[in-house]
Amino acid sequence: MSSLYLKPWFACLLLLLLYGCTQKTTVVLLSEPDGHVGNLTVGNIGGEVEMSRPAEATVISGRESSPSKPEILSEQQINAQFSVVLATLPIQPEHFLLYFEKGSTILTAESEAMLPMILQSITDRNSENISVIGHSDTAGNRDYNLRLSKERALAVSQVLIEKGTPRTHITSTSHGEENLLIKTEDNVQEEKNRRVEVVVK
Amino acid sequence: MKSFLTIFCLLAALFAGAESCSASTDSVGIIKTVSGEVFLVSTQKSLSAAPNMKINRGDTIKTGATGSVGLIFDDDTVVSLGPNSEIAVESFMFNPVDQELSFVSRLIKGTFCFVTGQIAKLAPKKVKFETPEATLGVRGTKFLVEID
Repeated sequence: MSSLYLKPWFACLLLLLLYGCTQKTTVVLLSEPDGHVGNLTVGNIGGEVEMSRPAEATVISGRESSPSKPEILSEQQINAQFSVVLATLPIQPEHFLLYFEKGSTILTAESEAMLPMILQSITDRNSENISVIGHSDTAGNRDYNLRLSKERALAVSQVLIEKGTPRTHITSTSHGEENLLIKTEDNVQEEKNRRVEVVVK
Repeated sequence: MKSFLTIFCLLAALFAGAESCSASTDSVGIIKTVSGEVFLVSTQKSLSAAPNMKINRGDTIKTGATGSVGLIFDDDTVVSLGPNSEIAVESFMFNPVDQELSFVSRLIKGTFCFVTGQIAKLAPKKVKFETPEATLGVRGTKFLVEID
């Protein structure tokens, strides 16, 4: 039996098995696009580590071995290992809230002034996925508000189309008074609820 | 035997129908960018991924040796996968009004970059990334993973 251990083919097989089983996982915390740094815990049967500093990294080399003590990686180390994913990461979607004069599909002056920012956001993201979601306040009955919120969403979509956004890139929906930003009783005029949300993905 | 087969086929068709119906409401995000070989794998089929395709709960996204892909989830989480990578979306619920929030994904192999979105802000405990050797929990953050 002991002679088995000396056979070169057996040693090779053993090495191969060991190599095949030993996976290594690296986890690196980064600062968010806005500069904020979150918090990341990495844990398994062996233990848990917590990271909260940018470029902090831990290595895990088995389900039962504790993640290594976090260490700061250099920018070069991070780029060498992760350049492809860093370059491929999409920009996060951007949300805009546009408000309306009461009972109308006319944008307030401030909201009108935001339209160029929305168009810029679409360009920056090369976006073909723009959601326009209409809402109303609770003044008036439900059907009226559903129709009004739909007309508001369509009015905003129309402006985006006129400024060159292909119609097929826009999905327009409406919620009427069902999804209030500011919770109110029925039949309350609330300017913050008379809105269209635009999400650019 | 023949009648048994007929019943089996009917049942299979029923189940397949039910699944494809629910799939349309299970959309959790989109494929944003594709480079090289990338596959979107569901229980029914495997497709070559293309920009703006919908990702459904339960789907797996895989890249080939020269592939990479960018994903955007409905809660604004953004993800990228490098070559030879694979991720499965185990659960995704984003319904803040009813407090139904969860995002669990399984990282099978490869390289990844994440910026977490609204679920991680509203209910950080409901967000988990499972790798073969460890489980990751986050509080609103950007991070990288390599499974080698």
